[in-house]
Amino acid sequence: MTILEIQHINKSFGKKIILKDINLQIESSSIIALVGANGAGKTTLINIILNLIPQTSGQVKFLTNENWKQITGVMMQDNIVLHRITVKEIINLTRSYFDKPLSYEELLNISGLKDHQNNLMTGLSGGQKRRLAFALALAGDPEILFLDEPTVGMDSNARNDFWQEIDRLKKSGKTIFVTSHYLEELENIADRFLILQNSIIAFDGTIKQLRSREGQSLVEFDSELNQIDFKNLPDVISINLVGHHFQIITNNVNQLVTELTPYLKAIDNLQVKQSTLDTLLLNYKENNHE
Amino acid sequence: MNKFIFQTKINFKRIVFRNKAFFFFDMLLPIVFYILYTKILVSNVPASYLKAWNEDYLVSMMIYACMLGGIITTANTLLEDEMSNFKLFVTLSPLSNFQYYGSMAIVLITLNLVSSIALTAVAMIVNHVNISIGLLFELISINLLGTILLILIGVLISFAKKPNTVNLLTNLIVFPLAILSGLWWPINIMPTWLQNIGKVMPTYQLSVIDKNILHQTTQHIGPFINLLIWSLIIFLILFIVNKIQKEKGLVTQ
Repeated sequence: MTILEIQHINKSFGKKIILKDINLQIESSSIIALVGANGAGKTTLINIILNLIPQTSGQVKFLTNENWKQITGVMMQDNIVLHRITVKEIINLTRSYFDKPLSYEELLNISGLKDHQNNLMTGLSGGQKRRLAFALALAGDPEILFLDEPTVGMDSNARNDFWQEIDRLKKSGKTIFVTSHYLEELENIADRFLILQNSIIAFDGTIKQLRSREGQSLVEFDSELNQIDFKNLPDVISINLVGHHFQIITNNVNQLVTELTPYLKAIDNLQVKQSTLDTLLLNYKENNHE
Repeated sequence: MNKFIFQTKINFKRIVFRNKAFFFFDMLLPIVFYILYTKILVSNVPASYLKAWNEDYLVSMMIYACMLGGIITTANTLLEDEMSNFKLFVTLSPLSNFQYYGSMAIVLITLNLVSSIALTAVAMIVNHVNISIGLLFELISINLLGTILLILIGVLISFAKKPNTVNLLTNLIVFPLAILSGLWWPINIMPTWLQNIGKVMPTYQLSVIDKNILHQTTQHIGPFINLLIWSLIIFLILFIVNKIQKEKGLVTQ
């Protein structure tokens, strides 16, 4: 079921085009990852969807009979830190905004701040503030959740718990719209990827579709050789070189390894992996569409 | 309604009860000024003139207290909400702007109400100023209406969004406005051209209305029209600035 429709959204600041004819349909019970380079327009698109800035043209439609704010939860990049107010008070204040809020105990559990409920918000650590922001985003038991860089400031355990909670929410029928720079986290959880590039949605599909289009496998090794030595090998889709570390994306890993045989003496630490979202995005930027 | 009550309750806690510096600054400063200018810095003044001065200065300090609460506390609280991302949080929540600003206005109006009552109590005790409950009620009611205009000025200043600019603007507006309006010392000791400017200020006109109430003299329509025009001007500027900032993606209102 479609919960959100974005039709022909255009956004310009002066003469600079930020978004060009963006069209999306967001289905319920799914996790949608919006990715793209810094400055690609991800935050602008989210801000337009959330009515924080006006679009130059086009329409955003929440397909609900209720006030869209009653069915939406938002966790922005920056934490809310209200002065002279406790954790308990901000949770209850946020609950009061909604018609059908989750219980205080449930939100306190999600925040993991049971022992800090009477502490002032200003006294929380960065990770605790992030978890509290997540609990506040869930206060209204939203149907659609917007998460902008949700795991920034969380330690690895907290990040793991966070994504497990996101998975649980998806299974309970929630729709989650997320942006993150931790691409490996999105790779494991998102159902659908939107790549925002050059003001347009350059790719809209699953990680499987992205791999089949941009390369299934990743061959990594260290070598003193130059990029040019490998560039013309028939099965190389793209090469990324950092220092002496090569990352080659290919759709035919067996053939590529055979093609690398003459260079084996000059190659160390050869590894074959499934291509990651990180490398696919890099490849996407370099080869296809810029 | 529940969310409005809850928001108001939280605002009382964070703006007043847990923010003693603001509470005492808003309430004590006008009281200190009142005692200073009616008890300590006056000498050789005829008793009949002193009686009127003590009454008029009470009105002046009531309005000054409204300025502190309405302009400085409003601007600083809204700035704090902007910096702490609470304004953005509210914008994204089902709480309407009307409820957000309304709940804050209730707190600030109450703060001014308490401040006015405290000032009157001091005037009664220290200078034996005699004001009936009815007159006090009229004075406070009019001042609270005036506070709405001052709150609008505070909201406008908060749009600057930077602590240094907000502090500079509040200082540049509150203190010159108090002096020009004759709240600190009589307006007729200033040069005529400055008096002419001062008499256009809304706080001067508010003091004219208050003094007419206090001395039970006839009210004229002029001061009320002045306050109405100022309110419309400030409201219009607020609307335009808000629209421009929203276009630029700078606003969370």
